[in-house]
Amino acid sequence: MAEEKSTGNGSSPEIPKSQPAPVPAGVSAGAAPAPAAAKPAAAAAPKPAAPPKKSWPEPKFNEKDGRLLKTTRYWPTELWPHPWQSASYRNGAMMLFGIIAGLLASGAAIGELSTWGDKLYALIAGFVASHGQPAVVTDVIWVAIKVLIVLHVVLINGLWAIWWERKISAHIQSRVGPTYAGGFHGWAQTIMDGIKLLLKEDITPAAADKWVHALAPAIVVAPVVVAFAPVTFGKDLAAANLDIGVLYIFAMAGISVIGVVMAGWASGNKYSLLGGLRASAQLVSYELPRGFSIVPVLMFAGSLDLSVIANAQAGYKWGFLPKWFIFYPVVGQLAFLIFLIASIAETNRTPFDIPEAESELVSGFHTEYSGMKWSIFFLAEYGYVLLASFLLATFFLGGGASPFVFDHVIPSWLWMLGKAMAMMFVFLWVRWTFPRFRSDQLMDFCWKFLLPWSFANIAFAGLTLFLR
Amino acid sequence: MSDTQTAVEPEHKIRTDSMFVNLGPQHPSTHGVLRVGLTIEGELITKAVPDVGYLHRGTEKLAEARGYHHCVVLTDRWDYVSAMPNNLVFCLAAEKIMGVKVPPRANALRVIMCELNRIASHLLFFGTYGIDTGAFTPFLYAFREREMILDLFEMVCGARLTYNYIRLGGVMLDVNDAWLAKAKEFIEYFKPRLDEYDTLLSFNPIFMARTENVGLISKETAINWGLSGPNLRGSGVDYDARKADPYCGYEEYDFTVPLGKKGSCWDRYYCRVQEMRQSVKIVEQALAKLPAGETMATGVAKVPKPAPGEAYAHVEGARGDLGIYLVSDGQGSPYRMHVRAPSFINLAILQEMLVGNKVADVIAILGSIDIVLGEVDR
Amino acid sequence: MTQDELFAKISAKLPQVEKHATQVKEYLTLKLKSAEDVLPVARALKNELGFDYLEIVTAVDWVGVVNPDGFIRNPNPNVFLPEGATPQNFPCATPNFPYRPMFEVVWSFGNLTEKMKVFVKLELPRDDARVPSLAGLFKAADWQERETYDLFGIRFDGHPNLTKILTPEFTQGHPLRKDYVHVKDRYDE
Repeated sequence: MAEEKSTGNGSSPEIPKSQPAPVPAGVSAGAAPAPAAAKPAAAAAPKPAAPPKKSWPEPKFNEKDGRLLKTTRYWPTELWPHPWQSASYRNGAMMLFGIIAGLLASGAAIGELSTWGDKLYALIAGFVASHGQPAVVTDVIWVAIKVLIVLHVVLINGLWAIWWERKISAHIQSRVGPTYAGGFHGWAQTIMDGIKLLLKEDITPAAADKWVHALAPAIVVAPVVVAFAPVTFGKDLAAANLDIGVLYIFAMAGISVIGVVMAGWASGNKYSLLGGLRASAQLVSYELPRGFSIVPVLMFAGSLDLSVIANAQAGYKWGFLPKWFIFYPVVGQLAFLIFLIASIAETNRTPFDIPEAESELVSGFHTEYSGMKWSIFFLAEYGYVLLASFLLATFFLGGGASPFVFDHVIPSWLWMLGKAMAMMFVFLWVRWTFPRFRSDQLMDFCWKFLLPWSFANIAFAGLTLFLR
Repeated sequence: MSDTQTAVEPEHKIRTDSMFVNLGPQHPSTHGVLRVGLTIEGELITKAVPDVGYLHRGTEKLAEARGYHHCVVLTDRWDYVSAMPNNLVFCLAAEKIMGVKVPPRANALRVIMCELNRIASHLLFFGTYGIDTGAFTPFLYAFREREMILDLFEMVCGARLTYNYIRLGGVMLDVNDAWLAKAKEFIEYFKPRLDEYDTLLSFNPIFMARTENVGLISKETAINWGLSGPNLRGSGVDYDARKADPYCGYEEYDFTVPLGKKGSCWDRYYCRVQEMRQSVKIVEQALAKLPAGETMATGVAKVPKPAPGEAYAHVEGARGDLGIYLVSDGQGSPYRMHVRAPSFINLAILQEMLVGNKVADVIAILGSIDIVLGEVDR
Repeated sequence: MTQDELFAKISAKLPQVEKHATQVKEYLTLKLKSAEDVLPVARALKNELGFDYLEIVTAVDWVGVVNPDGFIRNPNPNVFLPEGATPQNFPCATPNFPYRPMFEVVWSFGNLTEKMKVFVKLELPRDDARVPSLAGLFKAADWQERETYDLFGIRFDGHPNLTKILTPEFTQGHPLRKDYVHVKDRYDE
């Protein structure tokens, strides 16, 4: 074989050819050159004098320095058929299992946080009394501690949610996401990004209204923190036990819309203004289905207080099915879906992210913001996502109640956290799966589909209560 | 257009201003440097003026001062997303003038490379159209598959974008068993992915709502405006250069040409997805019956000087009907080379199609025409 | 329909067209005698013969060999010279080739049902070349005629918007003419 080809090449220099035929050493068996067709193929013949002019090396896939690589570059055929055969998959599964087991164990060890809270309150009371201060100082200190805790919940959620979103989006898109900052799966990435944003120059456009421009992010983010006051993080674990918890939360959430409009208007950019107005139209419209979808829940629970709503879902039906509102036939599922969709729209996430992402022509309302002000908008967005997750967990998933009859060990705050994180996962998951609605289709969807169904749902809830 | 505006002006005191907005030349929808000047009234577009020429490099003039082999290098840069058909069309025109007959193995390799490149180009279209409509994930899946195709091309000719692989008289290099094995592996891996893409994007209700009744082009309009490729076939016109004027042995392969029904953005998009399926079929058949033999014709000179004459060759590129009109006066460089660029001609319909549509549909329509600025501007 | 049948049909309707001396390989090429024939021929092709798909509108400048100064920086055709070959002059004219100071406008019409193509050519003098525009009949001619005007300087009468399309606004002259001399602009050092 090699002999035939080289003889063919050996005769080429005399005749000026268009190209010297560069036959690679390992050419396939079928490509015998035309002139030397009938040469007897002496497989063990010695190498002839004139080797081929160019020899192209064999392409090496999945090999480096002679050893087989564990991961291929873009040829995943080795990995796809049986993922459990790959060591990295098994390691990842073990790690996840370990983390969850650790969380459960630590939760079981810590127990109910409300008892620790009572002990802390007693400690502070003793401390205050021993220094001869009036008893009201205890309450002041206690409120200050609760405010700080709620604030930190929102801030740390910013760190955690953004990291988690980047990881989830990466794995959905067959990438890996942050891996470098902090070493272990890039957990410190958001902290680094926050530091970077702090160091960025704070630009205010010349045509902008300076005070409104500066005030808008504050008006967007302040209601988020405030709205977390009645949210129960577990059994007896709310910062403020309000009778009108639900109404308070929705009222506070509605204040942010003003901030969005201010941001759009104060940028001095007609495209930002249009974006801000579209955003406000969307936000205001979707508050209606959100509120109306909760009415059945309120009807079943009989109160606006979040802890009463959570406790109304305690207990098990037929011995094993938790009495969560999501399991109520038709009413529960419909209310859950409408509330979920309306919350996604309220938080400006895909598929409803026209205000943020329709930037090819009309820029979003936060285009003219840089540095910390911009990151405040995103803190607010993820704060609302967390709020919506906690609300979903409280209204529909029992909020702290364990789904297993036999479980008395794992504390309520851990269950609440788990449910809220599951709901947040749904938020993040949906973002990277669906394309985006056009703004008029979005409004159609709200007014002509969600709102009528939420009214119908209230009727179904009334029917259910009547039949009970 | 001006009389439409005066007709809209009402007698009472509300005055609507029309705003002039520039879309590009830098904008996030990655179509290259294209500027569209839109005059909008509120949400409706009243006038659209596409402005091209930002990427004009004068290849037709450059070709007049380069030898025929050098011109093949120029061709890569037109539709850089799918460069193999560009090389191919120039080589077909030059071979027509010179009267060179290409060996069958080279023809089969040309077909394999062009169809793989069609898959790669349509994957890029699929990914970027997803991003245009807001779905970010299909883009990465499409590019993961595209990387595999680009790896195949890198194995065979060393380049990922501008291949210069199809030369006058045949192809540059032969492929070996390792490459054929990898190509078969890729085909087997890719077939279920197409069903995945259909589930992910094609029949997604949100995507269909955004593209189904948008950008409608009727059959007569499409033919009159000279559209080609999936734009023409999306409107229901059955014209494919591979079936109309078969080249490189396409008449031996069994494949169908997907047609759309009403010429909407979705029809054009789905035509391209179906074309990927057909390309997979063609590559499978070509790989199965790859004939043995030479990969380069004998008798092509190092400095070809064809006899005076004219030739026209056209192929079905990924964007449409790509043609070359070549005039030779007997010298070493072409006397005149004109490129019939499908993206250039497809883009012209934008000035009529955008009028009367909403601003939010501009990107969906522009994406569905699937232009590459290298080909628009040459 | 074969090419001869097609030519017979066309001559029956339009006796003023004749076959061109240089046929584009494998396609029927017709020659028009004057600019007034353009519109009747196009209309007949579109309405009666089914050639309603305009594929190409372009032109060829037959004046002579291109002048590479100013648009190719150090023209050296001997870079890839094979061993032993004589160095080439660049670019040189073919002896006995009919170079003439004329533009030749080339149109190509396609019939999508019959899968046929026909090329139509018309010669014009180089100075003040004017041709009727086909933009009213075929919208596909719109941008292609603008491109031909931009690169050659041929005016298409009746075109709605005959302006530059590809070259930047500071380009002086028409680049694809063989005697185009480049005027230094802001992108040349």
